[in-house]
Amino acid sequence: MWPVTVGMTSNAEHTPGEGPRIELAKPKIELDGIGKDFVVDRNALPVLRDVDLSVHEGEFVSIIGPSGCGKSTILNIIAGLDEPTRGEVRTDGRPSARRLGAIGYMHQKDLLLPWRTVLDNAILGLELQGKPKSQSRSRALELMDSFGLKGFEKNYPALLSGGMRQRVAFLRTVLADHQVILLDEPFGALDAMTRANMQEWLLQLWESWGKTVILVTHDVEEAVLLSDRVYVLTARPGRVKMELSVDLPRPRRYEMVTEESFVKMKAGIIAALRDGNTRNWVVDDGNGIPTVAEGQP
Amino acid sequence: MREGPNTVYMEAEEPSQRVTSGVLSKNYASMVLQWAPPLALILVALGAWEGAVRLFHVARWLLPPPSSIGMELWESRSLLLRHTWVTLEEVFLGFALALVVGIALAAAIAYSRIVERAAYPFVIASQTVPIIAIAPLLLIWIGYGIWPKIIVVTLISFFPIVVNTVDGLKSADPDMLNMMRTLGARRWQLFTKVQVPSSVPFLFSGIRVGVALSVIGAVIGEWVGASAGLGYLMTRSAPQFLTDRVFASIFILSAMGITLFALAVLAERYAIPWYRREKQDKAIKGR
Repeated sequence: MWPVTVGMTSNAEHTPGEGPRIELAKPKIELDGIGKDFVVDRNALPVLRDVDLSVHEGEFVSIIGPSGCGKSTILNIIAGLDEPTRGEVRTDGRPSARRLGAIGYMHQKDLLLPWRTVLDNAILGLELQGKPKSQSRSRALELMDSFGLKGFEKNYPALLSGGMRQRVAFLRTVLADHQVILLDEPFGALDAMTRANMQEWLLQLWESWGKTVILVTHDVEEAVLLSDRVYVLTARPGRVKMELSVDLPRPRRYEMVTEESFVKMKAGIIAALRDGNTRNWVVDDGNGIPTVAEGQP
Repeated sequence: MREGPNTVYMEAEEPSQRVTSGVLSKNYASMVLQWAPPLALILVALGAWEGAVRLFHVARWLLPPPSSIGMELWESRSLLLRHTWVTLEEVFLGFALALVVGIALAAAIAYSRIVERAAYPFVIASQTVPIIAIAPLLLIWIGYGIWPKIIVVTLISFFPIVVNTVDGLKSADPDMLNMMRTLGARRWQLFTKVQVPSSVPFLFSGIRVGVALSVIGAVIGEWVGASAGLGYLMTRSAPQFLTDRVFASIFILSAMGITLFALAVLAERYAIPWYRREKQDKAIKGR
């Protein structure tokens, strides 16, 4: 199954080769024929196969796929935590060997350091870069309000709610000031209500900041609502099965999820996820949010 | 039980109330509840001891009743205090040395794989050597001063500190370390900012065990050859059938061990306030 484009495409389809257009808009991040094998009991287990993917500056791109399809591995490779077995990663059009520490990465777990206060967790990235502490702290304090953390600066993470902890982790990622931010199911561990609020909040934040974001999720609605483009992966070994341009206007609002064009796109993704794949089904979790689950329906 | 999840929720709520309520009377009541049973058990045991000794007319040199041990504690207080200070000094110095050596060794083992391969087997093996057997050798090599005792205390108490701290340094969450790497952390920053703080609770559990052992170490050191200290006092009192003095020494030694243990617990609370909160949080959320 090769990439199929559904919906109205814009600049997403880039033609290989030369041309002034490509000179103008070099992808910020480009994966070219990425393959990754893990070694399990001396056997190579292919996790990713021939993944081509590109993200332009200021773009919000989602990667969606069944569990275990290697979504997180893609992010690990982009972040530089892992190296691909085959293929090349390019940043700004150049092969980049040193990505670690240059790309923001937020995990599904908040990974806050329990011995640090909210404030000191937030400035971790700046501290590691060797920035003066007092300066970093005042920068973080300015942002506490818009991250809904005002009044909690001196708290230890243990007493915060899951949504708040995740916002601290997000603030930490944002403060590190990377041009590209990777989000690995950042709202996956939150309950449905908190998740919807966080999605809306992230939308506002991103629309005002304009950073390049790559989001990994298995929530179809989340992917459509937030993204400019969505990549749908197959089950393991993961490949790009479909690329979808989301042509909904911005600023986006949560109410758009009920609009006809939204529902159509959602249906297209769900169909692609189910297609030819008996192990993984899209199930409705009762909130009207279809998610991909393993096992029989 | 159809309301399984509900029941879990209710149970999980309870500790959170205990955490948040600062009502003094409630704390007082829970303290009484906590301390009353062991206190009652001790009183019953002491009463039975006293009664049995009096009833069967057991000789005082064989088994003195608690009352005469108490009398001995009071009457010989200056003598006992003098020897207590000597033992306490050995414990403090030996344990301080164990702490320094133990933490340094643990850091080296956790930081460098070569050091780990070279040194860790010997750390483990050192525990199979009976310390009591080494003590006379130390006497031959170093003499009768305070140093052989300090070394025995160090040898006996550094092991739990090393092992726990190594475990702690290695217990750091790998996802957390990866997160640090994506923020640009270098190896030593991973060590100082994640591994070291994660190891502190482990270090403290090593300290709790080590501090109790250190009292035993001091007594062993004194048994082998000393001119002062509670261990020395016991070895001198036993042949003279001053059994109540032996018991008084044992009493002081246990009190010393318990006090040091309690001090370690207090120090832990003070040093890592976040750790208790983390534990309470886990209890509340049932994670």
